[in-house]
Amino acid sequence: MGLKIPCPRCGPRPFSEFAFGGEVRGGRSPDPEGDFRRVYLRANAPGPQRERWFHAFGCRRWLVVRRDTVTNRIDPDEGDGLD
Amino acid sequence: MAWIEFEGRRVRIEAGDTVASALFRHGVRTFTRSIKSHRRRGLTCLTGDCANCLVRVDDEPGMRSCITPARDGMRVEREGGVPSVERDLLAALDRLHPLLPVGFYSKTFIRPRLAWTVAERLIRGATGIGRLPTGVRPRISQVRHLHVEVLVIGAGVAGLSAALSASEGGRSVLLCDEGEPGWLVAPGPTIERICSLAEAVQRAASITTLWHHAAVGIYEGPLVPLAGPERLVHVHPERVVVATGALESLQTFRGNDLPGVWLGRGAARLAGRHGLSPGRRAVIVAETAEALEHLGALGSSGSKLVAVVASDEIPAPTAGARVIRGGAVMAALGRRGVRAVVIRTERGSERIACDTLVLSTRRFPRDALLRMAADLPPSGEAVVGAGEVVAPGCSLDEAEQSGALAGRGEAVPISEPPAPGLGAEGLVCPCEDVSVADLERAWEEGWRSSEILKRYTTATMGPCRGALCGWALAAFARARGADALASARTTARPPARPVRLEQLAAGVHEVVEKRTGLHHLHVSRGARVDWSGRWKRPFTYGDWRDEHRAVRERVSLMDVGTLGKFLIGGPDGRELLERVLPCRVESLEPGRCRYVVVLDEGGYVMDDGILCALGDGRAYLTSTSGGAERMEAWLRGWADRWGLRAHIVDRTSALGAINVAGPRARELLSRLTDDPVDASAFPYGAHRHLTVAGVPCRAIRVGFVGELSFELHHPRSRGFELWTALEQSGADLGVRPHGLDALDVLRLEKGHPYLGQDTLPDDHPDKLGLGWTVAMDKPWFVGRVALQRMRELPLERRLVGLELDGDASSLRGMPLALDGRVVGRVTSCALSPALGRSIGLGWLRAVDGGFPQVLRAGSAQARVVPTPFYDPEGVRVRA
Repeated sequence: MGLKIPCPRCGPRPFSEFAFGGEVRGGRSPDPEGDFRRVYLRANAPGPQRERWFHAFGCRRWLVVRRDTVTNRIDPDEGDGLD
Repeated sequence: MAWIEFEGRRVRIEAGDTVASALFRHGVRTFTRSIKSHRRRGLTCLTGDCANCLVRVDDEPGMRSCITPARDGMRVEREGGVPSVERDLLAALDRLHPLLPVGFYSKTFIRPRLAWTVAERLIRGATGIGRLPTGVRPRISQVRHLHVEVLVIGAGVAGLSAALSASEGGRSVLLCDEGEPGWLVAPGPTIERICSLAEAVQRAASITTLWHHAAVGIYEGPLVPLAGPERLVHVHPERVVVATGALESLQTFRGNDLPGVWLGRGAARLAGRHGLSPGRRAVIVAETAEALEHLGALGSSGSKLVAVVASDEIPAPTAGARVIRGGAVMAALGRRGVRAVVIRTERGSERIACDTLVLSTRRFPRDALLRMAADLPPSGEAVVGAGEVVAPGCSLDEAEQSGALAGRGEAVPISEPPAPGLGAEGLVCPCEDVSVADLERAWEEGWRSSEILKRYTTATMGPCRGALCGWALAAFARARGADALASARTTARPPARPVRLEQLAAGVHEVVEKRTGLHHLHVSRGARVDWSGRWKRPFTYGDWRDEHRAVRERVSLMDVGTLGKFLIGGPDGRELLERVLPCRVESLEPGRCRYVVVLDEGGYVMDDGILCALGDGRAYLTSTSGGAERMEAWLRGWADRWGLRAHIVDRTSALGAINVAGPRARELLSRLTDDPVDASAFPYGAHRHLTVAGVPCRAIRVGFVGELSFELHHPRSRGFELWTALEQSGADLGVRPHGLDALDVLRLEKGHPYLGQDTLPDDHPDKLGLGWTVAMDKPWFVGRVALQRMRELPLERRLVGLELDGDASSLRGMPLALDGRVVGRVTSCALSPALGRSIGLGWLRAVDGGFPQVLRAGSAQARVVPTPFYDPEGVRVRA
């Protein structure tokens, strides 16, 4: 694969420079039941998904992109980059 | 005069020769034997597409002699055939073809089961597809990455033109080719066009050219690996233009694989470029306008044209040859090569004596790369074809125009060639010896789609990867009324061109090797340095027992600069740690430090380290050597998620660290520093700023090895002076360094687990006996919810200390058995010099709700005992 990931600091870079951080699912839930679901139950749905990548061989920062899990089309995330 | 060595003889080579042309001039006509029927095979395409000219070159099997330049001193041998390719006794198999039907493997040798093991060896031996080289070291290939806007594959007319138009406006273009521009083309108008375009390409500043690099496939991205002579180039383009051209179709008739049957471009190239006449008497099948050029080339090489079987669109060719309109080849006759052909004409069939049959037939696209790309979302649309690969048989002008459009990213006219019907006889797939009759038999047996026919007959699965026969399976199925799905072209997969295994392995040797600032010092002290994760670290400086004794009895140094080292600050720095770490952070007073485990969200132990509270609200955190990079990402990820204003500074490579350990460590340090290091001023569990031998250090009093110890974290650049000062000043104390071998035993004596060695990925702190590191009364930390749930369940496994009989130092990895049942495993063990008995760590599964106390590890008895084994009260470490 030769996908490119748009890093807001470094520009589009080969995905092999990044480490995958999974789908965006929030940092914490107030109640234990919600937190359990947040940790263990992922959407894993076909189609566009917001996900986190770590630019390990670059700026060493996390970023959020929107990737279509069916086509692997990757677009920058319009949000604030936070979960 | 240059020569190649061919099967013990010397064969003269001339300028511009390939291995194939040199051998042909020498009189070689049979280049190899076919895989199944051992039929003779000779030069056919001369473009590196078919597998009829594979020879062994300098011990490397399966080399396509037609595109391998001949070099002085090369050793060339033919392969296959018993005893030789020229006189092959296995050729008798050809007569047995009816006894070896399609699906032979699937139908035969089913019972008895042992039959196949014997038969397989015989059959594999008989195929003669090449011996692997022995005694040859694989060449190490490197991987290089190239990022360009446009990649053009193929430097023919369309490819060159595409590169030129793509480079307009300064776009970066990479143009690659399996060979060089025009290297496989016979003299004529095509090569003139190629030369003029190639000159323009050379002048274009933004075009990079990469010759002798074959595109292996197209992957998602798009990513195109190019296999070159010394390296594998990963090209990451935004767009790809595939201009790989087309190949004449091998018509099906009896004897269509005999030596002497040529594809038109191949024969023309042999005649036009190498000045060799393919044979004395030639019959040519002319279906394309280009056939006239082939005629000309053949004529000038001295071949006598006996007959031209021309389709109606072709204008009357040169005088001299007889022209047969509307004819078709029924058969090529002969045993060692073509002796005659049978032509069907309007008046019946006619036998014409000749030794060469040239097929200037309709061309089919060499489109494997394009079809690979078509299945790739979303980059499929970034890959387009140009020239003959999308419009086979197009003129030079059309090819140039098509290339120009594709290069600019505009739509390219596409013309699908109508598939010809297959003849009644002859080979469809010469590589695998699959004939029309074989396909028919498979069809009758019920294998009624192109993909299934491919799998059952193995047609298209030979070394040419369907270059000659890819179209034929689909045409065969369509002619029998299969629907669009069942008569589709079979899936194209990489590699599109042959590739060496060593090229597929390219880059595996390119690994990161990390060294601490003291690496050369260790080497100069005679250390055995080896891999520890990505680090190169000293394992021993001679005798680990000596080093062990130094730690337990005197004082010793260890380079622990590989530890992860982080500075965490900012207004929310402490808050970040409080939320991420399972221990209490707020209560840690400045100047104190604490052992911490780091949990993942599943509540499992990810890493461990030491947390030091600094006076200014910041914190200093260490992690294991292997976990440093992950730790940084982990902390930063949580800070981002929560939007905390925390700074995480990775000091791992900026700082070195030396552990000074042993009962006389304080004595040694006090000689080099004016700062107080006595137990009251600098107790266990504290950290202080010390200036040691003039080097500013953060000293941490923790004890992985179980003795009084000071971990001196210092600027990496000053490690050398610090180490040597400690060595010199402690000479009379018997100071000496210790390595990982000694450390492994030292920490085992204290019962400290090595994360990763003694732990499993799903070990929560309770399983490791580290429950005390977790403050469950904190309302929330990463992993708390999961840990809470797990604590409600009985413990199903835990790490235990073991005492073993005899010398158990080799029992690591040994299963722990209870009454013959495996219930655990030894993860660390050693014959402890300090205790004089064998000790170990291992995990143990609960049996009937409890943990067994006495087990067997191999022949030794293992008893579960509490840890630490050495100095259980921790008196020495607190000294």
